[in-house]
Amino acid sequence: MPRSLLLCLALCSLPVAAVGCGSDGSTSPVIPDELGRCADFDELRQVYWGDTHIHTNLSFDANMQGTRTSPEDAYAFTQGEPIPLQPYDEEGNPTRMAQIDRPLDFVMLSDHAEFLGTLAVCNDPNSPGYDSRQCVDYRAAQEFDADPGEVAVVFIDINGHTAAGPENAHYPALCGPGDAFCLEAGTDVWAEVVNSAEAVYDRSDSCQFTSFPGYEWSAGPQTKNLHRNVMFKNENVTVLPYNYFDEPYVEGLWARLQEECIDAGTGCDTLTIPHNSNLSEGIYFENRMGNGEPFTAEYVAARNAMEPVIEIYQHKGVSECLPGETISDELCGFEIIPFSNLATTNLEVISPPDPRGFLRAAYGDGMKLEESLGTNPFQYGITAATDTHTSAPGFVAEDDFKGHGGAGQPNRYLPPPEGFPDIEYLSPGGLTAVWAEENAREAIFSAFRRKETFGTSGPRMLVRMFGGWDYPSDLCSAEDLASQGYAGGVPMGGNLSPQPGSSAPMFVVSAKQDAMGVPLQRIQIVKGWLEGDEYQVHVYEAAGDPNNGASVDLATCAPQGEGFGDLCGVWQDPDFDPTERAYYYARVMENPTCRWTTHQCVEKSYDCENPSRDIDMDCCDPSAGLNVAWCESIDCTDPDRLPPADARCCVPRVEPAIQERAWTSPIWYKPPG
Amino acid sequence: MLRTLLNFFLIGGLLFGAKVFVEGRRVEGPEITVVVQADATQAEVEKTIQEAILLNEARRYGWDRHDPIVFTHLVRNMRFVEPNSTDSDLELYERALEMNMQAHDPVVRSRLLYRAGESLAYVPEDRMPSRDQLDAHLQAHGERFEREGRFRFHHVFLSRSKRSDALPADAILMGEQLPALGDAAPVGLGDPLPGLRSEQSATLTQIKSDYGAELAQFIDEAAIGEWRGPAESVYGLHFVRVIGSDPAYVPALDVILAEVRADRVREIRDELRKERMDALRGAYTVHIERAP
Repeated sequence: MPRSLLLCLALCSLPVAAVGCGSDGSTSPVIPDELGRCADFDELRQVYWGDTHIHTNLSFDANMQGTRTSPEDAYAFTQGEPIPLQPYDEEGNPTRMAQIDRPLDFVMLSDHAEFLGTLAVCNDPNSPGYDSRQCVDYRAAQEFDADPGEVAVVFIDINGHTAAGPENAHYPALCGPGDAFCLEAGTDVWAEVVNSAEAVYDRSDSCQFTSFPGYEWSAGPQTKNLHRNVMFKNENVTVLPYNYFDEPYVEGLWARLQEECIDAGTGCDTLTIPHNSNLSEGIYFENRMGNGEPFTAEYVAARNAMEPVIEIYQHKGVSECLPGETISDELCGFEIIPFSNLATTNLEVISPPDPRGFLRAAYGDGMKLEESLGTNPFQYGITAATDTHTSAPGFVAEDDFKGHGGAGQPNRYLPPPEGFPDIEYLSPGGLTAVWAEENAREAIFSAFRRKETFGTSGPRMLVRMFGGWDYPSDLCSAEDLASQGYAGGVPMGGNLSPQPGSSAPMFVVSAKQDAMGVPLQRIQIVKGWLEGDEYQVHVYEAAGDPNNGASVDLATCAPQGEGFGDLCGVWQDPDFDPTERAYYYARVMENPTCRWTTHQCVEKSYDCENPSRDIDMDCCDPSAGLNVAWCESIDCTDPDRLPPADARCCVPRVEPAIQERAWTSPIWYKPPG
Repeated sequence: MLRTLLNFFLIGGLLFGAKVFVEGRRVEGPEITVVVQADATQAEVEKTIQEAILLNEARRYGWDRHDPIVFTHLVRNMRFVEPNSTDSDLELYERALEMNMQAHDPVVRSRLLYRAGESLAYVPEDRMPSRDQLDAHLQAHGERFEREGRFRFHHVFLSRSKRSDALPADAILMGEQLPALGDAAPVGLGDPLPGLRSEQSATLTQIKSDYGAELAQFIDEAAIGEWRGPAESVYGLHFVRVIGSDPAYVPALDVILAEVRADRVREIRDELRKERMDALRGAYTVHIERAP
């Protein structure tokens, strides 16, 4: 069947909204999901914690890595249920389990859309694509004892399609003429995804959990990451989860979403969340559209509207700023991964990331583009996520990290990892917090839209920020800080309008530590502005004490020294020029703690004076994906000649201690005229 | 909507499940002999029997000869055994079957057990629950859908970061001051903290996450209407006055229909798995040999 006809039939014959059906044919009744239905409704808004980047066994890469857990398992995990982790033994029993330390408030699963249909075709004996060579290879690669080399070949053969250039992006051959097999199967799986989100969404007034349907658009030309997560506000979604093969340019994706969702009159609303610009070789924010031409006013308006927030941090590193660059600062070195794209990450080939792929640079470029085109295409609010490929949303604990797979270490094969369960440069990722009136779809989605969000590197430290012109200097002592904050200005993510006669904008930032974490150290304000054509950045200390002397005992991971349970500061820009565009975001720092790698070395009592060999054995496990230099000298056939100590514990290549942090969405200032 | 995901089980699976369920008790089943360790427990014996039955059924439906994964695996085995063979995959596969390789290979065994297990749990359309059945399910298992109760309380916080050494003395003063408020909210007292209100409504889970387990326990144990405190958290000291509580409750079916349906379908899968396994078990004549 021609692809266009298939799409037409799908669009014409299927309800746009996915609803559950019982045997009596009844559909779920329409439950009003309007603002104010929850018992904990608060017009001054509360904070809710979530993860919007999760992969399950529906994602091809996760599936090939031995992830067997489903969306249902992922949702159970968010509520505190333990779930199994690979590797599985020959009998199918998991060798590891994972459990979150406290529930999440909201979640969006984001399985790669490109192969939702592919997996279904290859697992459906009735599908005409089932006996294709690629499906046969895929199923062989699923065998318990499949050769890792052969699995890699199958993975590249299929997943490699996402690394084709946009002009060559297409579904795998197994999808048949017009890609019909995969389109049809993908439609069904997508409906399942939407239904599974619906089944866990708490529509009672208790509002204990919110789910959003979503998927990942996985464009990676030449493995340069351009991925976006697509988030839908509710069960009214597009019929197909449009992916890189359907829409190889992001403006095409936005156009589809605009036409078939936002403008469709079905109650559908959607946004896209960029991530891992650090792995794009600098092209994520390049001033170039799909046709090779520079941005137009229409393009920047679409980007601004469709992409209100960006994922600043996740498993594959941070995208805030790069150390050593001219617009850097002393705290830019946090969780920078030394890779430039997806392939070098997966293969651990050191390749310096391009500074143009970092948000700090994009914020400056965005303000310049706004001057010429009228809209800032990079006016992003901030989120963070895990990007787990093991169905474990919000699994961010540094002291319980079991690896997230994906571009990291797969852990598919026995034995379970005795050494590090992931590439040591990668991390557990972070969480998104939103300020919303209640824990329900309308309120949380609206918070994403207006960018009243912040991201953390994992801990649930809470940050509130307002910007205005006439806040009292003692606002931090006011019980009604939030009320005054809204009344006299804008919250994080907002646009601060010029106010004639006022000297300089004021910002109040209030933060508290994670109740289950360590104390805070300080609050900073990061300001960026355009001085003529020159982009400038300065970091100001707003509260706390950068020299509080706090540290961590690397032998035990015990925190040392004092900090702050809560911090608040009212800060006024001392260098404000009302004629200059500017942004301001807060960065809240915790006291130092052990990084996950250090936790694992401490937990294993790894004694560098009297070394054992456990972690080195990863060098002899090809599935671990390690090709680090010291592994080359190891003769895996002769255990007696293994090196005497584990370099990764005793000569760490990454910082053993970190300072966890939160980043707020910026408040933007635009001069009059 | 279940069609695609469940199509996997349709070849053989439908026949397998339906025939076993509908006819299993009336059909004279096959005889099998299982060998167990002499000291095997009853549970181990039963597990061995069930696996043997499922394997036998899988073979009766020819999955060991027609399943693509089994095919690929046996071909690979044969190429290992006969590395110089120029025979086609099909020829090698047929030779593997002649050698009865599929009967002993652990991967084939695992694959067949997996496929049989999934087939046992297949839910046909006429077993999908009706609205009445969902209502009955909700009534019978309300605890699964229960929403956590909430506490409404007045809350005064004294910040350790702000008050430092003065905190203990300030807490004594606050403790003396609060009872005079009567039922009034403690507006303007104490220190602000992001997310904190002088009057709050929250579940214990939320309180634990926001302020720590100690304060959650403190509130859980508090008598309604009385100021209690100070209770310590990582932030400082807290005084609370519980002014009411909303007990845990079960929402109406209309509100949580999708949630109830998903739960019931999960249960139906388990029921079908057991029913069909029991039917198979009843249809089989099983001889048990204990290895010395």
